[in-house]
Amino acid sequence: MMKNTALITALCAATALASPAFAETVLRLDEVAVGELDPAKASDYADSILMFNVYDTLVLPAQGGPGHTPHLAASWDVDGATYTFTLRDDVMFQSGNKMTAADVVYSVERMQALGAGLSYLFAGVTAEAVDDTTVTLTLETPYAPFIASLVRLPIVDMTLVKANSDSEWGEDFLSGNGAGTGAYSVTSHNPQEETVMAKSDSYFLDVADVAPDTVRLRYGLEPATVRTLIAQGEHDIASQWLPPEVVQALANDGAQLLTESGTGGFYFKMNTQKPPLDNVNCRLALSAVFDYGTAIQMIAINDEVSGGSPSTGAIPVGMFGANGSDMVQTQDLDAAKAYLADCPYDPAEMNLEISWIAEVPLEERFALLMQSNFNEMGISSSITKLPWALFAEQVSTAETTPHISQLFVNAVTGDPDTLLYGMYHSSTPGTWQSPEYLNDAEVDAALDAGRSATSDADREAAYSALNARLMAIAPTIYGFDRQSVFAASNRVNVPALSDPAMAFGLDGMGFSFRLMEMTGE
Amino acid sequence: MIRTLRILAANPLSLLGLTLVILITLAAIFAPWIAPFPTHNGAVVDFLNNNRPPSSHNWMGTDLVGRDIFSRILFAYQISLTLGVVVLAIAVPIGTMIGLLAGYIGGWLEMVLMRIVDVFLSIPPLVLAIAMMGVLEPTLTNAMLAVTAMWWPWYARLVYSIARGEREEGYVLAAEVIGAGAGHIAFREILPNCLPAIITKMTLDMGFVIIIASSLSFLGLGVQPPTADLGSMVAEGARYLPDSWWLTVFPGLAILVAVFGFNLLGDGLRDVLGVDE
Repeated sequence: MMKNTALITALCAATALASPAFAETVLRLDEVAVGELDPAKASDYADSILMFNVYDTLVLPAQGGPGHTPHLAASWDVDGATYTFTLRDDVMFQSGNKMTAADVVYSVERMQALGAGLSYLFAGVTAEAVDDTTVTLTLETPYAPFIASLVRLPIVDMTLVKANSDSEWGEDFLSGNGAGTGAYSVTSHNPQEETVMAKSDSYFLDVADVAPDTVRLRYGLEPATVRTLIAQGEHDIASQWLPPEVVQALANDGAQLLTESGTGGFYFKMNTQKPPLDNVNCRLALSAVFDYGTAIQMIAINDEVSGGSPSTGAIPVGMFGANGSDMVQTQDLDAAKAYLADCPYDPAEMNLEISWIAEVPLEERFALLMQSNFNEMGISSSITKLPWALFAEQVSTAETTPHISQLFVNAVTGDPDTLLYGMYHSSTPGTWQSPEYLNDAEVDAALDAGRSATSDADREAAYSALNARLMAIAPTIYGFDRQSVFAASNRVNVPALSDPAMAFGLDGMGFSFRLMEMTGE
Repeated sequence: MIRTLRILAANPLSLLGLTLVILITLAAIFAPWIAPFPTHNGAVVDFLNNNRPPSSHNWMGTDLVGRDIFSRILFAYQISLTLGVVVLAIAVPIGTMIGLLAGYIGGWLEMVLMRIVDVFLSIPPLVLAIAMMGVLEPTLTNAMLAVTAMWWPWYARLVYSIARGEREEGYVLAAEVIGAGAGHIAFREILPNCLPAIITKMTLDMGFVIIIASSLSFLGLGVQPPTADLGSMVAEGARYLPDSWWLTVFPGLAILVAVFGFNLLGDGLRDVLGVDE
């Protein structure tokens, strides 16, 4: 009898494990290392994915169109430079603590104190808790896209941080642990290898049952590894950094292609402090000699999907100040010769250093294309491979920054200010976004006008002027407008990355795991 | 010489090694004339014909920017062989000299020299080369420097151990008795007895130098693009496995053939020259 009972129990357990209703769904994806978990230090794509899932923000970008919708904030009022937010009163952190106005104030001040990541968005903001559910944010100077910036202000659990750290801002604690209200909590985190997240059961919004129970975000996988894992059914969403050939091969094997478009570009950034690129005619010559048409061919995945569309100027199509599609950039060898004639340096002696980021293999091909274009004009150049970490270190001074750096940059809040201010304003040199080291009064004025203008028409005018000025002084070769392509298995549906009506218009937001659907395949 | 060749020819594997080495050397020397696409060693891109599998037009296919892989392998052999020859041409005389001095003169000089050699031998060779390349710019010259720095101690150790044994031999004592100088004894009496071992090791080492140099460029620390190099070709192609296998397999085979050839030849020479294992 004992034996029978044991057998029946074992059988029941086996049935329970096999039954789909109880099966735990796991979503596996990858990104380039490092995964920065501290939300105040988040700046690149992996960091954003972590931040958008572990933490929440006061507002969210609207899906399928412009504008923003309430999220942690139930509503807000704007009075000049003062924004008053009424918070939801039903939001709990993953720790069980209640989210209050004090947490919002702490999060703003923490961002400012650490001064890392995208903290510049909140410089000069004074935060004040009026009561538990009301908070005011007052700006020093008017900043038109402030509401858009709030998508980069994750709200941190102050009580939890203070209980777990001796330092005021809890950097030690938050670099390895989550302290947010997000739909996913951190189970384990190794910034070089993997972050494991689990669906939180206390989220303040409804999360569908089909959303993944566990998410494994792995870092630094080789393209060949990702290719094999997806083919074997052991990986779900590849990073956008796979070379187009690998994405093509995966698509031919039946993988779906997810896309995210419209808020950034691919740039060849020229160090304007380093001869011969300190001369505007030399830079214009390089801009004219680059073969834009071939670059577009190189990023095509198939007839329908491509890694980008032709650039029409300094601002991606769809943003304030963008040029019309009739102004597509093309190679112009005659113009290049004319500019080169006015360039005081000898092309054969230029020895331009073209760098490429080791983690993005596609960039090596752009480097070779560029070098062959330069050769046509007799311009000498060399190609250098730089791992991301080394590149980020080298750009900290103009002397060590390569002549030409290749970068994908996107508007971190979806607004052109966050694409262009960090790149070109003379007050923000020497970050990975600004290896141009540009110092131009006219550009500064247009950027300042763009962020303080209150009407859309004024902003359009300011960014049009900026676009024209940038094209005239060519600090950058504008390669193409970016579209990120992700190869994915059929075990997951991602409406935000496959249905334009559900798209967020903010890079990384499409990776909100709570909106994904595991298909059970 | 003819006798040497005859003994070599008697062993089919050694003969195969010799043939491979001769073929590779000729291919490298005449690459600009025999490569189907001689310009493809430089900054050439042809995106209309990129990533093509092997065909009658491109025997080993084309790489991701449309360059002929067969042509690039021929040019890459130039780099590999030059590197091997230069490294050994510098490392062998230095190592031999130090080994001879330490082995024959002995005393405090032996202590100092051989402890320095020990220090170098205690660091894993690839780690030493990577550390040096981390400090220096990644160029062909610096790659040669880094590999040379890790190679000479092996010759110092080899020659030292032979010279120490020979020091007590009758012919050395006889030379000393009739008043020959230290230089004469070291270079004219002892060195000729070390040569068979040195030559055998050099032949075997050509293969290893090619592997180490390829490892360095696999890691991005060797020759920089667009110059063709076997290690960097493998590294670049590895990302596109298994679909674009020709990007990796052919350069990998090219390394294998070169190393295999030099090893077989080295083994054959060891038999011919009567060097103990």
